[in-house]
Amino acid sequence: MSAPSGMIDPAIFEGLQTKVDEDTAVRDELKDIIQALEKQNRNISFVLSRAHSTPYADLPSVLKASEESIQNAIETVGNLAQAASKQPYYKFNSMWSRQVQDALQGILFWAWLGGKDYNGNEAKCGRLLTLEELGEVLKVPTNLKDKDEFHITIEEYLLALTSLVEELTRLARNAVTLGDYERPLLINQFVKDVFAGFQILNLKNDILRRKSDGLKYRVKDVEDVVYDLSLRNLVPKKGE
Amino acid sequence: MGPKRSRDGAMKDEKSGKPEQAASPFMPMFEGFRAELDEHHDRRERIIKASRDITAASKKMVRTLGQPVPAFVTKGNAQYWEIIENQYQHIAADVQGLNAFRYPQITGGNQEFMEALSFHHYLESQTLISYDDARARVASMSGSAGAVLLTPEDYILGIFDMVGELMRFSITAMATNGKLPAGQPKKEAKTSQDLPQDQDADTMDVDEQTPASKPSEEPRNILSDLRALRLQLEMFEPGGGKLGADVRKKADVMRECVDKVEKALYGLTVRGTERPKGWVPDVREDRRPEVESY
Repeated sequence: MSAPSGMIDPAIFEGLQTKVDEDTAVRDELKDIIQALEKQNRNISFVLSRAHSTPYADLPSVLKASEESIQNAIETVGNLAQAASKQPYYKFNSMWSRQVQDALQGILFWAWLGGKDYNGNEAKCGRLLTLEELGEVLKVPTNLKDKDEFHITIEEYLLALTSLVEELTRLARNAVTLGDYERPLLINQFVKDVFAGFQILNLKNDILRRKSDGLKYRVKDVEDVVYDLSLRNLVPKKGE
Repeated sequence: MGPKRSRDGAMKDEKSGKPEQAASPFMPMFEGFRAELDEHHDRRERIIKASRDITAASKKMVRTLGQPVPAFVTKGNAQYWEIIENQYQHIAADVQGLNAFRYPQITGGNQEFMEALSFHHYLESQTLISYDDARARVASMSGSAGAVLLTPEDYILGIFDMVGELMRFSITAMATNGKLPAGQPKKEAKTSQDLPQDQDADTMDVDEQTPASKPSEEPRNILSDLRALRLQLEMFEPGGGKLGADVRKKADVMRECVDKVEKALYGLTVRGTERPKGWVPDVREDRRPEVESY
């Protein structure tokens, strides 16, 4: 009874199978690159996490040590961009969005520590790279609207920014431990400024909303550090 | 203490002596983000709404199609076609170019419409609509702003759902006609249309109808089509990822549907001659009360 029925043209399913197989092949290709990026991100965060235990004056050594892994990540993002631009951007971007965010966060932290402007002297903390500047560092486009190619999205940037705030919150406490009472104040202002920015966004119920909801607790954490310092008269006088 | 000030000097200066809560130097940047995120969310919401409306209209369409009265079908469904077409046109501009794959929220509506479309197509022509035809159909409904994309995933998952409709359709038809829908679509439309009159003389028909149930062994009927579909769907390799998960979920339901029709036909073959028309074992008798109310 199930003789080859006239109902289904076999070409229909053959065609579909081909399409799906092609997508699988693309996924496999991307997966390799993304895994490489993941590894390099871990290296970046491994090196940069030394900032938490390094006195301000020695930061240049940390920045220098991070150079290589950051270069590697930049290269891998370049490979990813090349492979991904052959496909419709949003068809596969969920595959790498996470890893790209981690890379962004690493570079944001590196730049905040002074890596972007480092000129051989003292590292100068507190810089926030804009989305465009991040794109320049990574050598990929940002926030594309009329071209369907690989780029860094606003959402990825903002998510990375929330991770940066978390990292800095941690740094505020650790700086105090290292006897550095100035950076917590810098961080306090920075985190507040970022928080103020997030507050004007109209967020929907998504991951960005959840992450940005967490920011107020980070603001409070840093405020607590500043409070502890001022209570003990440890805050450096302004205009010193 | 303010390396950060360097990046936005001009704005900073006027607020120089500021304590907290003064404007953040990042404000202009975030204002830009806000505008774009708002745009994105508006698009997404339009698409979610369209997807829901398409789903609702498609479901209603399927329900009308499912009653074996094809003559009324086209008329009754015109309004749903219109709703769906309007919705596709409404969002077409939102899913062009870069944004073609940005809003997976449309997939629900697409799948449901695919189910309705393929079911409709089957009732009319007794063939499975091809992916290219289905995609072209959605594209033609999307209007001048460009096509809304029907992905291979939408198509496949819609076809899985259509199997359920075919099952419901065959069982209803067996319950009312005492035989499996088969043969040319035109013939089928005729028998179905005869139905209302038949129902008046329900009992009288029994003897007449019984011999008519024999030809259900025709080489091609809805069950052989269901089996062919099942075969193709089982051969299909969805790969990993989301499609793989979705397909595995739907595959079980699909198999059950084919089983149900086979069981019902078995019941009809074994006991069919002893039962009055309209009585089929092991299936919901949703048709029966309606018949009696005539």
